Amino acid sequence: MAGVITVNLPVFLIILPLVAAFILPTIGRRQRLQENLLLVVGSLGILGAGYLAYLVMDGGISSVYQMGGWPAPWGIELQVDGLAAFFLLVITFVLFPVFLFSRGNLAEEVGGREKTARFYVLILLLGGALAGMALTNDLFNVYVLVEVATISCVGLVSSRNHPLSAEAAFRYLILATFGSALILGGIGFIYIITGHLNMGFAAQELAQVWQYRPHVVWMALIFLLTGFGIKAALFPLHLWLPDAHSIAPTPASALLSGLAVKGYLICLFKFFYRVAGPFLLQELAIDKIMKWAGLLGIVLASLMAIRQDELKRRLAFSTVAQIGYLFLGASLLNTRGLAGTFFYLASHAVIKAALFLSAGTMLAATGKEKVSQLAGIGRKMPVTTAVFTIASLGLVGVPLFSGFVGKWYLLLGALDGGDFLSALVIIGGSVLCAAYLFPVVRLAYFEPAEIEEAEDPGIPQKIALVFLAVLVVLLGVMPGTVLDLAGRAALDLLTP
Amino acid sequence: MRILLEKLLINYPFFFAIILFVMGAFTVLTRSNLFKKLIGINIMEGGIFLFFVAAGNIKGGAVPILVENNPGMTYINPLTSALMLTGIVVSVSVTAFALALIIRLYKIYGTVDARRIAEMRKEVKERWQE
Repeated sequence: MAGVITVNLPVFLIILPLVAAFILPTIGRRQRLQENLLLVVGSLGILGAGYLAYLVMDGGISSVYQMGGWPAPWGIELQVDGLAAFFLLVITFVLFPVFLFSRGNLAEEVGGREKTARFYVLILLLGGALAGMALTNDLFNVYVLVEVATISCVGLVSSRNHPLSAEAAFRYLILATFGSALILGGIGFIYIITGHLNMGFAAQELAQVWQYRPHVVWMALIFLLTGFGIKAALFPLHLWLPDAHSIAPTPASALLSGLAVKGYLICLFKFFYRVAGPFLLQELAIDKIMKWAGLLGIVLASLMAIRQDELKRRLAFSTVAQIGYLFLGASLLNTRGLAGTFFYLASHAVIKAALFLSAGTMLAATGKEKVSQLAGIGRKMPVTTAVFTIASLGLVGVPLFSGFVGKWYLLLGALDGGDFLSALVIIGGSVLCAAYLFPVVRLAYFEPAEIEEAEDPGIPQKIALVFLAVLVVLLGVMPGTVLDLAGRAALDLLTP
Repeated sequence: MRILLEKLLINYPFFFAIILFVMGAFTVLTRSNLFKKLIGINIMEGGIFLFFVAAGNIKGGAVPILVENNPGMTYINPLTSALMLTGIVVSVSVTAFALALIIRLYKIYGTVDARRIAEMRKEVKERWQE
């Protein structure tokens, strides 16, 4: 029995949220039971992902899982490597506090108690799709998973009981579908010249045929970069993100900003590193495009964030800037830069979830959307504001917080490649980040209170917020294990 | 030039796929009517589907059902058609979802024109906050 579970653990991690998504609506109106089921799924996910990470680091599991026992060219494979284990851990550790946060706290934002079940279903589907993205090793499966994730993301945005949610969701849906079409086109190009949908076989074939058809490969990679760039909000393609992420219900904002955009990023990395390979990226100058989009994103999106007065919009623009870091790190094409990218990805997922959840709590308690209206909130809502402050320190990259470790490795990666401009922007981005987050903290603590009544949220919400804050500090103080896993993920991706 | 033309003639399905794709993309990006945007998305996806199916086609190839006493027969590649079946299902569900959103937008704004909706946003938001 135990052996069966160990061997099939990767598949269980994908199936678990999907099965729960189908069971949950059948429970109907019994909300408490639904929420308990979510917590069980969340805890099982953390246990499973943790055990999988242990098995991968320990070498106790075969790196290829064949679906239904069919070997590769005929069957579909899952790749159980450092990258998959790492991203699964990130997913589960962000999903769990979001489940906890939604407990008994959602009805107002989605417009009624009876509508919460739909919201939970969408979250679970998104979780299943992301787990699939972490594990998949098949080009077409990526497309299907990307579509599942996209539709659930748009559903989450449109579930907010707010007149502007439909418009934000529609714009998101149109642009995201545009991106999907491009991704499918890119997959088509790769399939036509290689004849394989399995990433490993496609990579082998591509290494030989690319010199006869460099233009086709270039087109394929550009299609993929643009398609995934729209979905992951790469800088000039981020137009849908600020509206969608600021309108969505609070737990959904945390998930969309913290996790969903990274799922697409992981898929893009798989295409670029596992299928095309670093050599081809360099030869076709794709890494230059990624680098410049990342650099522009860090600087310009941060500047836009400073100009936003609505707190959630400011955080949404900050997400665009942080995605810039991830693209910049991935364009460095060395192990240290890529390990830094993965660590930064994990740290940003946790931090952005904490920021959005605490900001959403403040907005719900006070009804104020603007930063300038939140003066003195630190005394009314001590726990929430403390979590917001810790997460801000983490995102800016103050030592002993998680953002610092990620940025440090990105910096080392940039200097390894002798890239001083990138190093400068990595440091400058931190200053800009401080410029848009610290005023909120200053207003919250050091200004006379203008808000009459505001209280910290209920116990489950407090636990969720503190859980995330503790993760931010833990990742900063003891990054060892996670850093090892990120390094392993980078190594797995760079050496086929 | 002649070689290029000949190649185009032989591979004409790809040519049409590109035309459909560009037509769709152009419609999505330039039209402000939400329905037209949605139709544009569907045309664009149609282009991609044609691209895939054409890639799997072999001239004179038969439907890939093996016939035992006819070993010399050529069959088309069934994989791409099967993949596009999935693609069509995805496209249909996206269309249904988008139509539902358009209905909601029409209920709120009373129009399906993206530009008018953008103009009315502030007004609607203020009305909601009251």
